[in-house]
Amino acid sequence: MASLLQQALRRKPVSELTAQTGTDTGGGELERSIGLFQLSTIGIGATIGTGIFFVLSQAVPIAGPAVVWSFVVAGVVAGLTAVCYAELTSAVPVSGSSYSYAYATLGEVVAMGVAACLLLEYGVSAAAVAVGWSEYLNQLLGNVFGVQIPEALSNSPESGGILNLPAVVLVALCALLLIRGTSESAKVNATMVVIKLAVLVLFIVIGVTGWDAANFVPFAPGGFGGVMTAAGVIFFSFIGLDAVSTAGEEVKNPRRNMPLAIMIALVVVTGLYIAVSLVALGAQPASGFEDQEAGLAAILQNITGSTWPGTVVAAGAVISIFSITLVVLYGQTRILFAMGRDGMLPPFFHRVNPRTLTPVNNTIVVAVVVGLLAGLLPINFLAEMTSIGTLVAFLVVSIGVMVLRRTAPDLPRGFKVPGYPVTPILSIIGCLWIIKDLRPVTILAFLVWVVIALAFYFAYGIRHSTLGIRARGSDVRDVP
Amino acid sequence: MSVVVGVAAGGRSTAAVRLAAVLARSAGEDMVLATVVPAHWPPGVGRIDAEYQAYLKGLAQAALDQAQAELPPDVAVTARAVHARSVPRGLIEVAADTASVLVVGSSAAGPLGRVSLGSVGEHLLHACSVPVALVPRGYGCDAGTVVTRVTAAFGGDAESADLVVAAAGLAVRVGAVLRVASFAVRPAPPRTIATGPHIEDAVVDEWVEYVDKAQQRVLEQVAGLPVAPRKDGAVVGRGHDWADALADVEWTAGDVLVVGSSTAGPLERVFLGSRASKIVRNAPVPVVALPRGAVAQLADEAERA
Repeated sequence: MASLLQQALRRKPVSELTAQTGTDTGGGELERSIGLFQLSTIGIGATIGTGIFFVLSQAVPIAGPAVVWSFVVAGVVAGLTAVCYAELTSAVPVSGSSYSYAYATLGEVVAMGVAACLLLEYGVSAAAVAVGWSEYLNQLLGNVFGVQIPEALSNSPESGGILNLPAVVLVALCALLLIRGTSESAKVNATMVVIKLAVLVLFIVIGVTGWDAANFVPFAPGGFGGVMTAAGVIFFSFIGLDAVSTAGEEVKNPRRNMPLAIMIALVVVTGLYIAVSLVALGAQPASGFEDQEAGLAAILQNITGSTWPGTVVAAGAVISIFSITLVVLYGQTRILFAMGRDGMLPPFFHRVNPRTLTPVNNTIVVAVVVGLLAGLLPINFLAEMTSIGTLVAFLVVSIGVMVLRRTAPDLPRGFKVPGYPVTPILSIIGCLWIIKDLRPVTILAFLVWVVIALAFYFAYGIRHSTLGIRARGSDVRDVP
Repeated sequence: MSVVVGVAAGGRSTAAVRLAAVLARSAGEDMVLATVVPAHWPPGVGRIDAEYQAYLKGLAQAALDQAQAELPPDVAVTARAVHARSVPRGLIEVAADTASVLVVGSSAAGPLGRVSLGSVGEHLLHACSVPVALVPRGYGCDAGTVVTRVTAAFGGDAESADLVVAAAGLAVRVGAVLRVASFAVRPAPPRTIATGPHIEDAVVDEWVEYVDKAQQRVLEQVAGLPVAPRKDGAVVGRGHDWADALADVEWTAGDVLVVGSSTAGPLERVFLGSRASKIVRNAPVPVVALPRGAVAQLADEAERA
């Protein structure tokens, strides 16, 4: 019987990952059909919108107008990690999220740790986004109908309410759609991207009329440390750049197009975020951002004195954030599903309803947990937990690239990280640098969460994982 | 019992008549060509519509004659023209006691090679108590074609199992082999969540594992019937939409697909559920939709034989 350490570090062979998801059985040979333009739009569409609608009210009180630099820092780190991820996905070209890649390169226990991070990157981010949605919904209702949901029912306990009901309702609605089997089609996704971009451009165009250079003084009240801490809060606005990396299998000429698309998406997204934040900072003194709800809409209303621009922004936000929540919850359920298939979670998580072909049990559990988080926790904590989870997952991916180069240097790679080993090392340093400046409560909560996940692994996963069962089976056969 | 086929004026029913001939030949039944003439208005002061009625009768007769002319000689055929308030009602009337299956053609507005439901097809699928056979547009076959394989659409649940037994009875009746087919339809995962294009494959695989076992169980059930048809195994079609999933399964010229009715509809009538509807609209071969009453009846017959 292998030692505990050996068991915990067993890695899923790459060929098995391929077989498991039907790529070899004819279930999924995909044609390389995505060109550079489409890949860039995937990256832009995947990234824009999760954070920019509500992150400024968290980040500006920390860094002041220097938050513009926070966007640059977060963007650069996101770009570096996306490029590392792209190599990993081209070498291990199937199923999944960074959980699968960690399983293949770094071992089972690390995969469990990454899965814990992914629960933050997907599940908790869905909760954060739902809370942001409720802010814009309130704004929209107030503008259009003159009614607002009572404070007690639209704020978390920490912010003075009882429960954030709209956020819970949004999660429930998305869960219902997922149970029915609804998925976001490419057309709907494209529409959502257009809506988000249009709304942000509208904000920039109108918001610039309220420009007042005096609002930029003092520029960096939080100093360099403030910029880095704000980068940690903001980082979750850059989640999605890794969608370019995981689309690698379908991309034409990945060696050229992947890094280009990542760069293009990064430049467009960061440029847009910086423009939005500059306009917002120019229009409103830094003190106005603290605790501001539905920030972009509120700023426009303050500048123009009329409600229509705020209404348009709020409507755009409500529509597009709904779509983001749906898609992120979908991703979370499928990651848990994959873990269930691997034996890392109880079989409950990989049951499929025969009529709808959807994992109903799994979806309900995710919806209940995310609903509770969205209803009871404040957005700043949720956003920071998302950021730290994402940063650590990306950190692990960057380490994974280097480990895979050592353990499997001859594996065919559709795309290789330029500037190896500097790039992954820079990416690791960047992630650590941002992490270290997050609030201590966030880091502590994250560590507690990872410990819980690992404890669960040693209690359940290590014995029930299909890889482990197979390994023990072959051990037994070897005994004479 | 006979195969009743609705015939429209203007040569639009060629495909339906061809399929009816195939079915009649396979089952050893005779064919009834039925055409529906709009009913008289209640008699008024004078017979002002007498000329119009005579014209309609002429049209009906011409349609029947044309259909009969295209028929192969080896099938016994009778022709009937009925008066009714609407075409579906008329066909249901003809089919009521004597039909083993009612054959209708597809709408001319639909794609070639696929079944598309026009007004008659839609109405029949909601109101007919007799099995309804739908023909893909432009269906053609060689002379002397018979049904060689009956494919039962199997969803994995208990009602589907009844349908497979009923389809087995049908297969015996027409002398064809039986195949069981299930369809796994899941749209492609969104590209924007960084989980890759195969993340949904695991969910589909899990369902396929479940349905494989259910298919084996139902085939064993069929093997246990007093008169069992020969089996052609079980298949699962996968796709991002129903058209892809149906195309994923192999079809030949003598294939007929059988679907059952929803549990939500009245017992006797054909009333397709959402999945059966999608199968019907995307099937590249003729489809026979069985009302639940007929499923029960055929299943009983198969078990007693």
